[in-house]
This record gives sequence, structure tokens and C-alpha cells, in this order.
Amino acid sequence: MEALRIKALSKQFGGVDAVNDVSFTVNVGERLAIIGPNGAGKTTLFNLINGQLAPTAGRIHFFGQDVTSLPPHRRAHLGQARAFQVISLLQKLTVLQNTLLTINGTEPHRFDMFRPVKKFENVLQKAADTLKGLDLWEKQDEPVINLSYGEQRRLEIGLGLSMDPKLFLLDEPSAGLTKEESAEIIDIIKNLRTNITVLIVDHDMDMVFEVAERILVLHYGQLIADGDPDQIQADQKVREIYMGVEDAVDYAETA
Amino acid sequence: METTKQDRGQDRWISRGAPYILGTLVLLVTPLFLDTYGQGLMTRFLIFALFAMSFNIVFGYAGLMSLGHAAFFGAGGYTVALLKLHYDVNLFWISAPLGIVVATLVAAIFGIIALRASGIYFLLVTFALGQMLYSLAWNVKWLNSKGMQGITGITLPDLGIPGFTLNTIWFYYLALIFFLLSCVLLYRLVISPFGLALVGIREGEPRMEAVGYNTWYLKYASFVVSGAFAGLAGVLFAYYNFFVSPNHLGIATSFLPMVMTIMGGGGTFFGPVVGAAVFIFVENFASILSPQRWPLVLGALFVLTIMFAREGIGVYLWRLWTRWGPNYGSVKN
Repeated sequence: MEALRIKALSKQFGGVDAVNDVSFTVNVGERLAIIGPNGAGKTTLFNLINGQLAPTAGRIHFFGQDVTSLPPHRRAHLGQARAFQVISLLQKLTVLQNTLLTINGTEPHRFDMFRPVKKFENVLQKAADTLKGLDLWEKQDEPVINLSYGEQRRLEIGLGLSMDPKLFLLDEPSAGLTKEESAEIIDIIKNLRTNITVLIVDHDMDMVFEVAERILVLHYGQLIADGDPDQIQADQKVREIYMGVEDAVDYAETA
Repeated sequence: METTKQDRGQDRWISRGAPYILGTLVLLVTPLFLDTYGQGLMTRFLIFALFAMSFNIVFGYAGLMSLGHAAFFGAGGYTVALLKLHYDVNLFWISAPLGIVVATLVAAIFGIIALRASGIYFLLVTFALGQMLYSLAWNVKWLNSKGMQGITGITLPDLGIPGFTLNTIWFYYLALIFFLLSCVLLYRLVISPFGLALVGIREGEPRMEAVGYNTWYLKYASFVVSGAFAGLAGVLFAYYNFFVSPNHLGIATSFLPMVMTIMGGGGTFFGPVVGAAVFIFVENFASILSPQRWPLVLGALFVLTIMFAREGIGVYLWRLWTRWGPNYGSVKN
């Protein structure tokens, strides 16, 4: 079954084609990585899929439904969750407040003006379970800004998962992390339930080749390769254009 | 583990509830020992505290810089005044609800227009809309008493109780009832999922969108609710002041809740009340000491607050009381 169908998607900024006529489909449960040099349009593509940006042309279908013109909050309700490249947690609010806000976001009572937050037992329970699972329960009253960078990443990804998404968009989940923290994140992604479809953008080739079943390569907004990790490593065009950087070749070969 | 947590919670409740109880007692008892002038001053404080609290929902919690809040305050006041002027209606139970309804409608319309913009542009649009009402009030004959700017001849309201006429102190208690009622409602709002979501918008709107909140709707709803309470404050103000003028719709009045909220502590529940208290009483005593230069005193106080108690006098006092560390928004207050 198809989770996501991208059809002839384009996004122009001024005269620049950030995303240029990109088409692909993703099946339910697939782990797909999108790679490409800086400025290839990866994050723009994520912004289009998640609704932060509206495309110049093309359509996006999510589980058969055309979501091209839906705002982000509607897509969240349909089952999209996203972990941002720059951590989007509300820094001045506590860990618990962030968790409650995320859980409430897809609950019908999110607009309730009359009942205290603390009276929603099921939400509190879910928040407790989430935070205990992330090993952050003890820090529930800390403002997020006091957490280490690795903890913030873990929380952002964990909160995304607490939304029970059908599609999880991870934008550079390992950026700025140490090797150990990175490994933790890889573990989390590998252990996701198989009915969650995962899209990852990352520069960390360890991460990409470890996690992804299929890889798309973007270059100047265009899709230049689509295949499993072995195919991508072998692809001459990809080697020239993207992995022509020597480090990347080393990465690819040792991975 | 469980019990210690609960004990701590109860302790906290007492230490945190005490200032509220104390404050309520002071408000209940003090006017009995004051002359009419003092009672009037306290009524003025209640009205502006309510006005500032309503403003704080939009400004402090949702983080929207509105500079047109007097539009709703004035709309409430003008409704009362016009009913008296043209229809000789002075029954509180008609004028007050109508005043709130009119203020809410004005907020509902202005909100649609102003929320198309954000940040500094939102501020400019709200300012412009407020000034529009201001100039309307200047220029439309129907909105003024004969031969002057503004509407005079407002009296204390008729409560519809036979043989009972309100005097200054009874009006104070009427205002106090509505003030306390508003406090309860606004407090419920602030600790509700809605209130928490407003703080979320203030701290990071894109994330709130991404996790499922229609942030436009949340901001709009907060704007309208805030307008309703500002309208109630305006209604009470018209009765208190016996006179409304175009100034009560424009920038001069819009500034007041902003200054009070910043002075007292925006984004905290009690801050605007403290700010209003400081503002109203300092304004009063300074104007007695120096009828011409009293704004200087207020200005100096404002600057000192920004320099030495940046988060607001209210927050500063609260910390002295609890020594509880930093304050990060609605839920923990």
C-alpha cells in the first residue's frame, strides 16, 4: 500500500528551482533516506511534504488523499510527524509542558478553555509513559533549554513518535550528535514499528546506510537516483556528482 | 515517593494560594475604611486590573503585540453611554451584557483583519483599527453629547432592585464581584489546554502548527475572549467615570494595559494586577504631589522596572514570596 505519492513536485524561490519536477512513491512501512549535497533541496522537499511550504507545481498524496493544499496542522491530524533539523522544542517551557503540548495537539480537547490541563488523566499518563520511555522522566520540570543537545534530540524524536504517526519525517536526526548519541538515535529508528513509514534526510552516511532500505539522491532540486543502498553506492552518476567528495567515497565504501 | 510528592504539592498550594487569599481579603475590607475618594480610586484599580489582565491573555500568553486594545474597552464604555444618552436605558443587566457583546463583536471583526499580519505589522494594524474608532467617535454626531466631544451624563447603574440605589461603595463591590469572577474564568483559561497552547504559540508557532494546532484559530479565539473581558472593563469604567471620550478608544488608552502588564510581569497571571495597582496608585499620589509633572514619576518608575525588575514587579515580589526559581509560563503558576 502507498503511504506517500509525490507527483511532479516543484518549488521555486524567485528564479531558483529548489525542488524541480520530483516524483516518487513510498510504500507503507518503508524506510527511505533522501541524500544530496547542501542546497540540494532536501529540507525544502520536507517542508513541502509536511506543509510548511506550498509547492509551485505538482501534487502530494498521503494515503490516497490529496494533501497538497492542507496546512501542517491538518497533516499532523492525518498522521504526519516531523523532527526538525533545527530543534523545534519550546526552549523556555519544561520537558513536561512540551510533552503535554505535543500530545494535546492531536486530541479534540486541545481547544478546551475550562478544564485544567492537569485534569486530563489519560494525557498525563501518556506523557509519563513517553518520558519514562525516553529516560527523561526525572527531568520533567526542567526547561528544555537546560537539557543537553543529545537529550533534546531524543525528546524531539520521542515526541514525534508520541503522536502515533503513520509517516515520520526526520530531518538530519544525527546532526550535532556524538557517535554514541547517534547510535542511540539509529537504535530508536531501527526499532520503530513496521507500520510507520520513515523518511530521513541526513549527511551522516553511517546513519543512512544503516537505517535506509531505499535511498533517493537529490541534486540541485532534481531526483538523480533512486534505489537500494547497494545500487546507490554503485551508481556512477551519484559517485560523480555527490560522492565525488573524497570523504563521502570513503564513507560509502566503509559503510 | 508518591506521598512526598503530594505533600510537596499541598505545601506549594498553600504557599502559592496565600497571596491570592490575602489579596482578596484586602480588596474586601479596605474600602470600608476609606472615604469616597479612596473607594473610587480602588474601583479604578479594579477596572484597570481587569483591563490589563484581558490584555495579558493576548500579549503575555499568546505573545501578540496588540496596540489597539482600547477599542474593545471603549466599545463597552460607549455602549453603556449611548444606551443612556439615546434610549435612557440605565439598567445594569441590559447595558452590561450589551456592552460585552458589542466589544466582543468589535474584537471578532478586528481580529480577522489584524491576524492576517504578524509581529510588528500586527501591532500597526491593531493600532490603526483603534485609531479608526477614535476618529469615528470624534466625527459622528450620534456618538457625542450635544455640543461636546464624548458622552456625559452617565450615572451609576440601576440594578433593578426596588428601593435601592447604588452609591460609590456598593458600586465598588459590584465591580469587585465582576473582577473576581473574571479572575476565576481567566485563571481557568490560563491553566487549560487552550492556555498552554497560547504559551506554546508565543514560544514557537511553527512547532505548534506541526504538532496539530490550528494556530490561527487559537490566536483569534484568544483575541476575541480578551476583547470580551476588555469590554467588561470598559462597561464598568463608563459607570465609574461618568464620562467617555474618543480618547478611551485610542492609543492613549491602549497604552495603559500594555504599560501595566509590562510593569507587573507579562505572561504571568497576577502580573498585570500588580502592575495596575502600582500604576493607579502612583499616578494618584504623583498627581497630588505634582499636578503637572506626574507622568515623569510614572515614566521614571517604568524605566526603573525595566532596568531592575525586567520580568515585572509582580514576578519580583512573587519570587521574594516563594523563592521558587524562574517562572516559565502558565502551567506552573
